Amino acid sequence: MRLIVLLLAALLPGIALGQYYAGKTVTIIVGYKTGGGYDATARVLARHLPKHIPGKPNVIVQNMPGANSIIAANHVYAVAKPDGLTIATFNRNLPIAQLTKVDGVKFDMTKFAWIGSAASECTILAIRSDLPYKTFEDLRKSKQQIVIGATGPGANTYDFPLLLKEFLGVNIKLVSGYQSSADIMLAIERKEVDGRAGSFTSIRPFIDRNLVRPLLRARATEPGVENLPIDEDLAPNARARSIMALRSAPEIVGRPYVMHPNTSAEHLKTMRGAFAAAIKDPELVAESKKAKMDLEYVGGEVAVKVMNEVLSQPKDIVEEFSRYVKFGE
Amino acid sequence: MIEALFEGLFLVLQWKPLAFMALGIVLGFWVGLLPGLGGATTLALMLPFIYAMQPVEAFAFLLGMHAVVATTGDITSILFGVPGEAASAATILDGHAMAKKGEAGRALGAALASSLLGAIVGAFALAIAIPIVRPLVLTFGSPELFMLAIVGIAFIASLSAPGPRGMLRGFLAGGFGLLCATVGQDPQAGIARYTFDTLYLWQGLDLVPVLVGIFAIPEIIDLAIRRGSIAGALPAGRISKGAFEGVKDTFRHFWLTIRCSLIGTFIGIMPGMGGAVAQWMAYGHATQSARSAEERKGFGAGDVRGVLGPGAANNSKEGGSLIPTIAFGVPGSTAMAILLGGFFLLGLVPGPDMLTKHLPVTFSMVWTIVIANVVTVLACFLFLNQLARVTTVRGTVLIPAILMLVFIGSYTSNNHYGDIVLTLIFGGVGYLMVIGGWPRAPFVLGLVLGKIAENYLYISVARYEAAWLTRPVVLILFALAVAVILYPLVQQRRKPAHA
Repeated sequence: MRLIVLLLAALLPGIALGQYYAGKTVTIIVGYKTGGGYDATARVLARHLPKHIPGKPNVIVQNMPGANSIIAANHVYAVAKPDGLTIATFNRNLPIAQLTKVDGVKFDMTKFAWIGSAASECTILAIRSDLPYKTFEDLRKSKQQIVIGATGPGANTYDFPLLLKEFLGVNIKLVSGYQSSADIMLAIERKEVDGRAGSFTSIRPFIDRNLVRPLLRARATEPGVENLPIDEDLAPNARARSIMALRSAPEIVGRPYVMHPNTSAEHLKTMRGAFAAAIKDPELVAESKKAKMDLEYVGGEVAVKVMNEVLSQPKDIVEEFSRYVKFGE
Repeated sequence: MIEALFEGLFLVLQWKPLAFMALGIVLGFWVGLLPGLGGATTLALMLPFIYAMQPVEAFAFLLGMHAVVATTGDITSILFGVPGEAASAATILDGHAMAKKGEAGRALGAALASSLLGAIVGAFALAIAIPIVRPLVLTFGSPELFMLAIVGIAFIASLSAPGPRGMLRGFLAGGFGLLCATVGQDPQAGIARYTFDTLYLWQGLDLVPVLVGIFAIPEIIDLAIRRGSIAGALPAGRISKGAFEGVKDTFRHFWLTIRCSLIGTFIGIMPGMGGAVAQWMAYGHATQSARSAEERKGFGAGDVRGVLGPGAANNSKEGGSLIPTIAFGVPGSTAMAILLGGFFLLGLVPGPDMLTKHLPVTFSMVWTIVIANVVTVLACFLFLNQLARVTTVRGTVLIPAILMLVFIGSYTSNNHYGDIVLTLIFGGVGYLMVIGGWPRAPFVLGLVLGKIAENYLYISVARYEAAWLTRPVVLILFALAVAVILYPLVQQRRKPAHA
């Protein structure tokens, strides 16, 4: 008798979607190797998501690096099952890859089942604190050449300063080829270059120890840099403005999380709820604060809107944009 | 200074850090021997566990684990010719050749003893260098790093067979390596080079699948053709007695081991050079210790000095590579990038403070590497001779197991079937090189250093135009590169007169 009751108790909630996840494993596929920001964010989420998904499934992280994460995106778009058990997180610039028709792209960014983003990533320009320029206006007016270190085309370290040079008339000499943004930081320290652009998260420790000073930011913002001037507000014309806006749009969806396009509305709703709750979870907040990564949930609807904004640009803007910006990192 | 050195030691020598270190060592040992679970992945998995720990405990745990992975990687290199990771490939050339001569025990003993010596020398070199380490690192700008890569490439001369024909083949193999290093999206214009429209090749040739292919596959083919065991028909008794002999070798070539340790520490300190470079430069230097052309021929055929050099550099570089991470917040490798994450979790800010205010904590990390190495090496010696006996197992039994090591090892670098294809292609290339008598070491040196040299050359020219050529350190390194190229030639000229 007790057995039957137990069985019933176990079976009844099973009808509800909640128990769909019980005993199952949700995999987060990361489009990069271990050791970077995308991977670290996914691992923090994997630890705290189970509490917020009904049925408390296991959540594991799997790395699928290659082609600046196009491989991972293709996989989730076409190969993975639409069963709500496979999530992907990848390069925020993939909409740019689709827009500029990069070879190998087999996905449509607007069609993914968008869970949303775990953070906005703000790109800033920072220069050595011992330089005389206190504000971006000082720098722009001085007409003195400033050397900016970069990794390569397609990375925010390269594209952001390139547009500043092209449209805002800053006298920038762009030196690219550094292996990582950390290597540029070292070049700044030995005065090989004067500054760099990059995500606020990665530059912040160096601002804290007064090696560099932030001067300018892109549209997407984070606590700590709200008051910096924004690049596109300084644009001389509408055309320049839309190109700058196009470059920065993906940063609003800085840590994208998606599932297969055919994922059911119920699964999508569950995951959106779980992400929103997990990112507010006090334990996760304490943990990410310690690790100096600011997580903030950006809803799936916002992400879809950004994707549509990027991918519905008029042809002439896309053509001019592709002249400056290539897909990368 | 000295107080900080001992304060660091006492920080580690408490029961909690020691207990965490022991746990780290056990985990690291397990991971190091299992194919497919890399050291970096394990660090990432273990990172959440450090929240509740004190900084010294946390680093004892993480670094203990990390230090052991580096040491145990040499074991599969020697026994099976399969590099556990990119940084332990140089040990294969002579280490596995020794195993084939029935000296697996001796090779393992030498690799471990030199690793231990390397770790200790590296730690002390670091302790002495700490006051000058910031200016030292800052002196090495892009032009200097480019020249350092050129010095490394110059070692191709030492790694080639003697005589004009040998040199020519060496330089051609090195050139092929440099060419392979250009595969992938270039960092200046974003153009895809030699990617044949595949996404996999965008990021360039991954080192691990290439190295596993070029070294392990020829050995497997060789073993299959010989139809015996790795050590041939030699009596098992002799094989399992050599470990202590290997320790004696380390002290017989004491100064070589010390010099290679210092090379390792120095390359480790230089940000952006990477772990694989240190080992190959040390191997190149070890071959220079050959006093005659006859002796030189022994390298690659099982000269114990070819094991001692890379073994020493492999572990001494670990101490060195802490420097860019802790003093500048600039990680030199994936493992160090994850470790940097650990710093933030513990509320420590990497930067100049770590060399002044938090110096004892920095030293506690160095000590952790030393102690973890001592423990690992002692533990390994307990069953080294048993491990060496694997080389007497029949090839038909062993090959499936080695193949599994090979394919899992290469597949886990990207979790992509391209890794397997790359291993097979470079396995073919490696086999052709072996039967044709072409040296593989120059190829690897070219591959490892090609991208570094290209990027830093571009940056140097873009930043300083031609002016970088006149920087003093650039000139010194240029002279060093010339000396490295000429040394084997002079050696060959001089020796016949004596003989």
